[in-house]
Amino acid sequence: MKHLAVAVSLLFLFGLFAAPVLAADAFDLVIPLPLTGKPAKFGEIMKRSYEIAAEEINAKGGVKGRKIALSFEDSTGKPEIARSIVEKLIDTKKQPIIVGEYTSSCAKAVAAIAEERKTPYLVVASADDDITQKNYKYVFRQNQVNAHYGDAVVSFLKEVVKPKTIAILYESSAFGTSGADAMEKDAAPMGAKVVVKEKFETGAIDFKPLLSKVKAAQPDVVYTVAYANEAQLIMKQAKELRIDMKLYAGGAAGFAIPEFIKGAQDAAEYVVSATLWTPQLKYPGAREFADKYKAKHGDYPSYHGASAYAALYVAADALNRAKDWTADAIRDALKATNLKTAYGPVKFEDKEGYQNQNFHETLAIQVQKGEFETIWPKSHASKPYVYPVPSWKDRK
Amino acid sequence: MKTYLPYITLTILAVLPLLGLSSYWMHIAILVIMWSVIGMAWNLLGGYCGQVSFGHAAFFGVGAYTAAMLYNKLHLSAWWGIPASVFVVALFALLLGYICLRLRGPYFALATLSIGVIMRITAENLVGLTNGDVGIQLDKRTWIDKTWYYYIILLMAVGAFVAVKKIIGSKLGYYFVAIREDQDAAESLGIDTTRYKTIALVISGVITGLAGAFYMNYMGYIDPKVVFALHDISIITIMVVMVGGAATSAGPVVGAVIMVLLAELIRSIPKLGTAHHTLFGVLLIVIIIFLPNGIVGDFSKIRNLFRTRKAAP
Repeated sequence: MKHLAVAVSLLFLFGLFAAPVLAADAFDLVIPLPLTGKPAKFGEIMKRSYEIAAEEINAKGGVKGRKIALSFEDSTGKPEIARSIVEKLIDTKKQPIIVGEYTSSCAKAVAAIAEERKTPYLVVASADDDITQKNYKYVFRQNQVNAHYGDAVVSFLKEVVKPKTIAILYESSAFGTSGADAMEKDAAPMGAKVVVKEKFETGAIDFKPLLSKVKAAQPDVVYTVAYANEAQLIMKQAKELRIDMKLYAGGAAGFAIPEFIKGAQDAAEYVVSATLWTPQLKYPGAREFADKYKAKHGDYPSYHGASAYAALYVAADALNRAKDWTADAIRDALKATNLKTAYGPVKFEDKEGYQNQNFHETLAIQVQKGEFETIWPKSHASKPYVYPVPSWKDRK
Repeated sequence: MKTYLPYITLTILAVLPLLGLSSYWMHIAILVIMWSVIGMAWNLLGGYCGQVSFGHAAFFGVGAYTAAMLYNKLHLSAWWGIPASVFVVALFALLLGYICLRLRGPYFALATLSIGVIMRITAENLVGLTNGDVGIQLDKRTWIDKTWYYYIILLMAVGAFVAVKKIIGSKLGYYFVAIREDQDAAESLGIDTTRYKTIALVISGVITGLAGAFYMNYMGYIDPKVVFALHDISIITIMVVMVGGAATSAGPVVGAVIMVLLAELIRSIPKLGTAHHTLFGVLLIVIIIFLPNGIVGDFSKIRNLFRTRKAAP
């Protein structure tokens, strides 16, 4: 017993300090990501996509002749852990660029550190408007800001559905709140009145009281902003309660990942959602990436994956163009980015009060026969939209 | 030796920043000290007075939000939150104690558990005051360098350590322990139990609130889910004390080292680190099973384990 205790503790210590064996001249890139906890689903999609991108970039010769050695650290969705990871990357690993994170609260913590320590940080899928409104010089965001997430859905509503009334449901998080506020602002120009605007707790299971309230208000459209499980549950329960609506709409995240269709099944049919990317887009490499991802992992990736995939290309491109790997050279290279990626064209602009922000087109998707189809804007449509939507009792 | 240990530790900690540690290690050191402050606070109430709180995130969050709201609403430096949070949290704890401390044992624990959640939901919904879920962010933190943050939190830790030690050595401390051992007996001896429990709660809450105000200044961003977190704050607080050793003065410090530093090291193990939750969970289970009084409380057990081995040739 005594020997065992000593042996185990020695082994444990050894494990702690054993240094990883590294390839000689590889470029180590550590990406902070949530791999456990609530946002883990999104972290997983992004992790797989980074891996695919790294493989491709390495096959083409890597960055400045060095292969990318990718690894990940689990930030568990906690800001102080995300900060620990990034402090370590900047200090001990001297990593010249930070890519990653998912939740807005972690991205904010990382952005503040990146700015203070003058290390370029590429935000991949964190939506909160604030992140690129702080006059940060070293923080770049590739995904659209939350205020614009719903743009395509709004224009679809305006031109096709023309709702008179709208109900907004959103989960209590930074993402949910700012998404709901943006839609409330967009409702007036559309000619729609917001009749219900209700918040629900993240992780809630029973939405029937909320849906009954919606039913009583009889809006034309329900717009919901929710993460993974809530989106599925809301649609399932709306079906159970037979609440007919001109249209059910969702604001990306939980409505735009494969799990939504798997979980909500036929209740997901005809639901329209905002999204930032779909595999059906005609961007160079979009289809190839989606197929590769599906062949490996069995599902099509969501926009989170595509953004992660493209982010590594953007980072590699900037590192290739930078004359040396000092913070300012990389920053200038990032600023001059003009790259056509599988996620769409990426260019960092200063406008509308945002800095270093990539403004790209958003899309509307609709679930048709158990598949996501791009329906709006028309130039990107893969299938014509289905509207009006059949009522619950007319569906088979 | 034993009496000098706190002084030795303090000297080492005081010169730590002079060793030129990297910013990363300073961050970990600051987190360790911050958690030991919270642990000491909980220890006073839970360890010595026997009132187990599952809702210390409420105090932490109120402290943090005091600093954040001073910054956001009154445009003062968030550092004013540190003195201000003393009053705000004391008032909050008084109110809480008045209601909850009539309850005993598991009922008190459950009441505090719900207070933590209530505070989170309140902060999420008082959008006008707290910015709701969007949270409050400092435009710029005071220092990029961590030395000052380190000394400020170290000062708090020394203050909390001395305060708890003095209280425990005084009449008040004996009242607390009497209440923990047998509340009815304490009452029959003429101790106004509700009053002394409230005192313990207020002191414990204020110290936790100070750590919260510090957190706001140090991290520069809070939202209700971060500071009023049940698992990430309230439960970790209890674990810090339980792992280190409840009702011991060094326990929370040792607990904080384990809960922050060791957790960080395990997470950083290449490959294996992916399973850090599992590894760390197993480690905690082992500690709780074999050292039910915590590492400090059962230190003699650990010593014996290694000592007998040396004796054998």
